[in-house]
Amino acid sequence: MALLYGLLWRLLLLLVHVNRVLVSWLRVRLRSMKGRLWERAVAALLLPLALAGFPDQQKKLNHANPDANGNPVTGSRAAGRRARWLSDGRALDKLPVHIGLLVAEEELSYTDTANLVVWCMAVGISYVSVYDQHGIFQKNNSRMLEEIVRQQQDLLGVDGSKYSVEVLNNGSDKQQQNVLSCRPAVKLLCPDDGKQSIVAAAQQLCRSVEKRERSSKDISVTMLDSLLRESKNVPDPELVVKFGPVDSTLGFLPWHIRLTEFMSLPSHRGVSYDDLLGVLQRYSSCQQRLGQ
Amino acid sequence: MSWIREGELNLLEKISANILKAGPMPKHVAFIMDGNRRFARKKQMGRQEGHMQGFNKLAETLRWCKHLNIQEVTVYAFSIENFKRTKDEVDGLMELAKQKFEKLLEERCFLNVCFAYTSRYEITNAVREMAWGVEEGLIKASDVSEALLSECLYSNNSPNPDLLIRTSGEVRLSDFLLWQTSHSCLVFQSVLWPEYSFWNLCEAILQFQLNHKSIQKARDLHREHQASQQLEADRACVAELLQHHGNGKPADAQRRQEALLHHTACREERIHDFLEALKHKRDSFFNDLTSEAAVA
Repeated sequence: MALLYGLLWRLLLLLVHVNRVLVSWLRVRLRSMKGRLWERAVAALLLPLALAGFPDQQKKLNHANPDANGNPVTGSRAAGRRARWLSDGRALDKLPVHIGLLVAEEELSYTDTANLVVWCMAVGISYVSVYDQHGIFQKNNSRMLEEIVRQQQDLLGVDGSKYSVEVLNNGSDKQQQNVLSCRPAVKLLCPDDGKQSIVAAAQQLCRSVEKRERSSKDISVTMLDSLLRESKNVPDPELVVKFGPVDSTLGFLPWHIRLTEFMSLPSHRGVSYDDLLGVLQRYSSCQQRLGQ
Repeated sequence: MSWIREGELNLLEKISANILKAGPMPKHVAFIMDGNRRFARKKQMGRQEGHMQGFNKLAETLRWCKHLNIQEVTVYAFSIENFKRTKDEVDGLMELAKQKFEKLLEERCFLNVCFAYTSRYEITNAVREMAWGVEEGLIKASDVSEALLSECLYSNNSPNPDLLIRTSGEVRLSDFLLWQTSHSCLVFQSVLWPEYSFWNLCEAILQFQLNHKSIQKARDLHREHQASQQLEADRACVAELLQHHGNGKPADAQRRQEALLHHTACREERIHDFLEALKHKRDSFFNDLTSEAAVA
């Protein structure tokens, strides 16, 4: 009997995997196809096994714009794109001040991630963080910066220097006086910026207690919070977009995600501007009741 | 009469439960039971009635969890933020909680209810406890680690939740178990809590099973990383110590190794004694509370 249930379980998992593969294949194949057929096909496939993990972005009818995917273009086309993206951002009721891009995939693409960063900034988001659970982006921050600069030029034209980016390294944070300054900032994060940072702050507080500089009773949420902001001034992300099939935060900034909205996209590889815009539109329509 | 109704699952539910149990099952599930008030609005009933339905649904869900061999459940009943609601609503909820949980004491199950809880406060309190340990001379500041912080949380007697489910379509954690769920499977479901069904639970567990391997891998990676960080921290302490006592002469490898083993053993003993003291402090706090309540 146990054997039978075991087999049935494997069959169930197989069906789910097949469903997922079909859906993502269709997504790729029919991306450029207009409307009804695509929507019906997706609905038919997703309905029977509509598994809610992180809510997946439903593909809306998008008139695929050939410009939107970063082909090298002339200055005027880039300027047009820049204006359009800015107006897309303005059309939204609200935009996150800090957006977190959580790449929960093993194979990382610097180009696609850089695209995402550039689009976020073009739309008007001033603080973009990028996280992967191995901290690879952070370790290779110069390569990431190069890629961002390159994509800026490709997507936004030569004039993209208006959006000069600061890739915040751990060292330069102390110079970052005001996080909400005019220049958009990019922060590359790794798991150590999460729990380990909390532990480091805790150690600091304990050392000052050891030296009788303060009492344990003085330690409050506000104190711990401001200590965390002192070393790494990362604002709380209003929105985290997760890329990949894993339904977990994988250690991303546990302290900071208290009120963060989580949305997900299937993958960061081959992601389009419209995918990102869809998520932002969804975010702008959500309501935070904050306990009431 | 048992509050957690001992009703059986129907045949189809039983079969589905058995199929799911053939795969990896979560041992500890956490629920953010959201949607009571929206449900009340939808059914045009009072908010209090909505919360009643929510409690009934909790009872039912615990029954399902028992059938699925889920040994531990943690629920988010009430946060400090929720005290912003009207006085009547808050009073009503408190009275309801008192009634239901009195009955629960008759049952044997691990149900953790997070009441007037926020995660940031819990983490801060853990830091405060460690600072207290330092003040009392039980531990040193250098003993502070991720593992020790976890031991100082209110949830230290439980393993981290394998699965966190939030209902009603909201996709946030709302200051719930932020530390403990860093490597949990997060499932957001749009169903309102009072309308939660056995199939919704199966759906969530299936999601857990699909994620199991990759999350397990991530957890193992994190554990290894923690261990190497601890080793590095121990080595740094020992290096400092040897420099202090070494009179400028570099210590040989064997001496370093001996010192390292000694330091680690001492640290572990200190931590053990500190955790015992902490447990004792908490137990006496609760004993005092209950004896006060008994007198009152």
